[in-house]
Amino acid sequence: MAYVKVKRRKLTFAERTYVAPIAKGMVTTLKHMLQLGGTERVTMEYPEQKWKLPDRYRGAPVLVKDAAGREKCVSCSMCEYVCPPRAISIIPGEIDGPVEKAPKVFDIDMLRCIFCGYCEEVCPEEAIFMSEEYELCGQTRAEMVFPKDKLYAMGEKFGRDGRTKDPVKKYDRLVSEAAAQGLDLTK
Amino acid sequence: MPKLTIDGKTMEVPKGATVIQAARAAGIEIPHYCWHPGLSVAGNCRICLVEVEGMPTLQIACNLLCADNMVVRTQSEKAKGGRADVMELLLINHPLDCPICDQAGECKLQEYSFRIGKDRSSFDFPKVHKPKHVRFSDKVMFDAERCILCTRCVRFCAEVAKRDELDIVNRGDRNEIAVKRGGELENDYQMNVIDVCPVGALTSMDFRFKSRVWFLENAKSVCSGCSRGCNVTVGSRWNRVLRVIPRENPHVNQWWMCDAGRFTYKGNDADTRLGAPMIRKNGALAECSWDEALDAAAKGLRDAGADLLALVSGRLTNEEMWLAKDVLAHLGTPHRDVKPRAFAKDDFLRTGDGNPNSRGAALLGIAPGTGGSGLTSLGSRAFRGAALFGEDLDDRPEALEALSKCGFVLVVGSHETETSRRAAHVVLPGVTPFEKDGTYVNVSGRVQRLARSVIAPGEAWPDWKILGALRARLTGAPAPRTPADAFAEMCAASPAFSGLPWNGLGEHGADARTPEPAGAAR
Ligand code: SF4
Ligand code: SF4
Ligand code: SF4
Ligand code: SF4
Ligand code: FES
Repeated sequence: MAYVKVKRRKLTFAERTYVAPIAKGMVTTLKHMLQLGGTERVTMEYPEQKWKLPDRYRGAPVLVKDAAGREKCVSCSMCEYVCPPRAISIIPGEIDGPVEKAPKVFDIDMLRCIFCGYCEEVCPEEAIFMSEEYELCGQTRAEMVFPKDKLYAMGEKFGRDGRTKDPVKKYDRLVSEAAAQGLDLTK
Repeated sequence: MPKLTIDGKTMEVPKGATVIQAARAAGIEIPHYCWHPGLSVAGNCRICLVEVEGMPTLQIACNLLCADNMVVRTQSEKAKGGRADVMELLLINHPLDCPICDQAGECKLQEYSFRIGKDRSSFDFPKVHKPKHVRFSDKVMFDAERCILCTRCVRFCAEVAKRDELDIVNRGDRNEIAVKRGGELENDYQMNVIDVCPVGALTSMDFRFKSRVWFLENAKSVCSGCSRGCNVTVGSRWNRVLRVIPRENPHVNQWWMCDAGRFTYKGNDADTRLGAPMIRKNGALAECSWDEALDAAAKGLRDAGADLLALVSGRLTNEEMWLAKDVLAHLGTPHRDVKPRAFAKDDFLRTGDGNPNSRGAALLGIAPGTGGSGLTSLGSRAFRGAALFGEDLDDRPEALEALSKCGFVLVVGSHETETSRRAAHVVLPGVTPFEKDGTYVNVSGRVQRLARSVIAPGEAWPDWKILGALRARLTGAPAPRTPADAFAEMCAASPAFSGLPWNGLGEHGADARTPEPAGAAR
């Protein structure tokens, strides 16, 4: 790296006393005090007042169920694989019925999550979404690992309508198609 | 010897070779589902279509004999188009439930859709649905929707396992694989159908939904179930072994392994695993440091001297047997033996000998020496001391009774056993074959590498390290730092292994120099 010698301007006497700059600052403060620039505020009274999030804001990833209340996640582990900081850990489990598979354990470590949205993008079942939740805090590290139940509860609360209450029930279609062919897949 | 050209490469192949075999030998991969190098040709999946000059239609490479001056193109537009169309047909009724399918990640249907065709069917009508989780046995699960009816599983049972248990039932798009006469799969090699199934139609009950395959860490190792030493790939995750599948070795097991071999990992995470060395104080075993335990063990061995009976497990690696033998030679005891281990025998792979390294033991002379006695003399003769390297006597109550009367008993082992609880004065925690590197010699004299796939619990040491440390205390000889060091030492000193290279054993092993054990063999 080459060095660049920065030439400093020599300050005038008036500048060195700081009187003029201080006076200038006082004038600005006074203007605000007397509301000379109008009454519009740029700050908010958070947390009493909440920020209205833009539509594509990426808050905490949450899990959602379908309109029939069934878990959509089939623990395919694609999100676990794609997650850059490895925030997600899943232990798949077996369930009855045509889907066969659902997560036994589904943890997201919110301290690790970088809110990139890859999990939402990769999910083949549209089971995980970036929510509007941005108030994530806790006292311990363990508390910040959100288990499955919590993620579903957050999905209920912070999910965006129209995305999370998915009317398309993929497996219902499967079951009804099979039933029309004389095959019972619900067992 | 016909001479033909495939994709511009000219080659000469043995008479009777098919185009797919010739291409494979030349490193050209032709897609295939129903063809398997270890099974007969069925020619039903049609994905191996290639263009042959002078023939009006595309030909299937798996059933096309090589002929002189044949010119084959696997990558022409016509051949590629043909294969893409076959993919399309295969996907008409395929459920495409990769997210819940265990085969995903190692599925030929996925791979070929990705490479040569579309990833969805363009068929607008409802798919034909079939039963989704059908138990073929308590080891194999079947999903009829995913099956592409390649009949590999049918042929495996009939041709390799020699039990014609599977067949296709129903007609047309209702075709399904079923166990004959509605029974269950029964043969001892049935889990190989899971491996030969190119899609997720046949999956393992044991591995079912445990983990996606792309998360597994795979170690190329050898099965420790019997003295055949089938080559295996051990898949693990979270430091736990999750599955054992066969690995091709034309000299040993071809593509297969028996079902029992796949379950050898089961005890690996047991609660009875030993995690710390122990010494018996006032009648009870108490945990202690390695130094303390090794000192006590060395003292006990030295005191017993030439009147020590040593049982060396046939599950130890050659290096460990070699170190054990060195220790025993130093003590001057001729009383050494290997406990036989029964294992049901058949006329395919299972040898009937449950000790994976009996041949190594024989080559290294682990058998009673001149004037020495073995395991059977325990009870009729009193020994001053006994050492069990990787062995236990839980299945022989009388021998165990006699053992507990010995003045000093050292037990080196991976699990807590009745033997260690009752008889041991010093217990040193060793590891299982999944937790160490080493070599085994199989029943036909093949020296093969065992590879570590997981890390042992607690403070357990691999047995070669324990034996090296014991030897250092007894003789002052330097302890080997790695199993490769111990291997080199063994090869330099014992003619059966002379000149064998640790790194040169490769994935398929090498034959021992003198496959027939000399002299002291049993
Ligand atoms: S948003 Fe990104 S970092 Fe967070 S869990 Fe999803 S993939 Fe992982
Ligand atoms: S990608 Fe979707 S379906 Fe798959 S494990 Fe993640 S949330 Fe579940
Ligand atoms: S179950 Fe698998 S191996 Fe058997 S016919 Fe179907 S796809 Fe082929
Ligand atoms: S035949 Fe023997 S070595 Fe082969 S898989 Fe079975 S137990 Fe293992
Ligand atoms: S591989 Fe040739 S037809 Fe199946």
